[in-house]
Amino acid sequence: MSELEQNQTFTQWLGQHKALLFKVVRAYAVTAMDQDDLFQEIIIQVWHSIPAFRQQSSTTTWIYRIALNTAIKWANKERKHTQSTETLDQLPPILQETAIQIDERLTWLYEEIYKLDEIDRSLSLLILDGFSYKEMATILGITESNVGVKINRIKKLLISKSKQQDYHGI
Amino acid sequence: MEFDELQKIWDSQTKEPLWVINEHGLHKRILAKKSQAHHITNFSELLTIWVNLGAGSFVLGVNFFKRPENLFMYVMAGWMLVTALFVVVSRIRRLKSETTFDRSMLGELNEAIAMATYQVRLSRLLRWNIVPIGALSLLSVWEGGKSGWLLVVLLIFFVLVYFASGWEHRIYAVKKRELDVLLKKLQTEETVS
Repeated sequence: MSELEQNQTFTQWLGQHKALLFKVVRAYAVTAMDQDDLFQEIIIQVWHSIPAFRQQSSTTTWIYRIALNTAIKWANKERKHTQSTETLDQLPPILQETAIQIDERLTWLYEEIYKLDEIDRSLSLLILDGFSYKEMATILGITESNVGVKINRIKKLLISKSKQQDYHGI
Repeated sequence: MEFDELQKIWDSQTKEPLWVINEHGLHKRILAKKSQAHHITNFSELLTIWVNLGAGSFVLGVNFFKRPENLFMYVMAGWMLVTALFVVVSRIRRLKSETTFDRSMLGELNEAIAMATYQVRLSRLLRWNIVPIGALSLLSVWEGGKSGWLLVVLLIFFVLVYFASGWEHRIYAVKKRELDVLLKKLQTEETVS
């Protein structure tokens, strides 16, 4: 694959799937600086992954897998190191906030997802985005039954937390 | 709220993205990252290979042309060249094994763990390699009839290098442990409470 083809695919993927990437970034990083940092990590991994894409899965599944995997690793360790990369800090930010008023329930949901561990955060995003157990098992590389058990627990937890929040008007 | 309601709240985001991408900033970042993307394993491997190859050849050459020849320096040169060869073989094996992992998250994690394990082994090997190199250096200096102070200075130097490489080794070991914890989280079958 030539670099031109890679760049064309990248631009196409970015245009089609940026909402997906934003969700992953928002679920794994809280501060604007961290969100920017994680976004660039994911984007770079997506760019590198293009030649390896064999169309055995959908692009959405492929990009989700790359994004989640990068976010998990980043949340676990990378953040400590990337904060010291001075040359990158001097560059302009990648993500710019829109003027849209964010639904406070959505902010609450992201906060709850962020409180989960790295793996459960991934599963929360996948279930909320409507992936099947089979697709989730493929993305994560674990059994469907394992996915089912984890998802049930996450769903119960989120429902229970949301009921507690009802008293405060959410 | 039931999960369906949470789902509706979630779905609302796809209609209204929270951010826009600064294309110019993104392009600059990718270029900057690409220029810095010299992987640490790659770097330490190449450094080890060239340092051992260079130092081994140098010691061999100096000892060959200088009289009287020193047996310990020959042994040391041989040891360094064998170390360089060993790291070359390890590097080739590592690069070949990179394509054997599947493209699931588990596969990616296993690949990252294999890389971390490799780094831990390599740093451990290089740390212990200081012992024979140090011993042979001291023996060759001693046989060459140099001053006792030089021996003491060399000994302190090798002890410091040994401890410094222990610090580097611990960084890799911690990184590997973090990945192991992640793998455990991914594979654990938890019961519904």
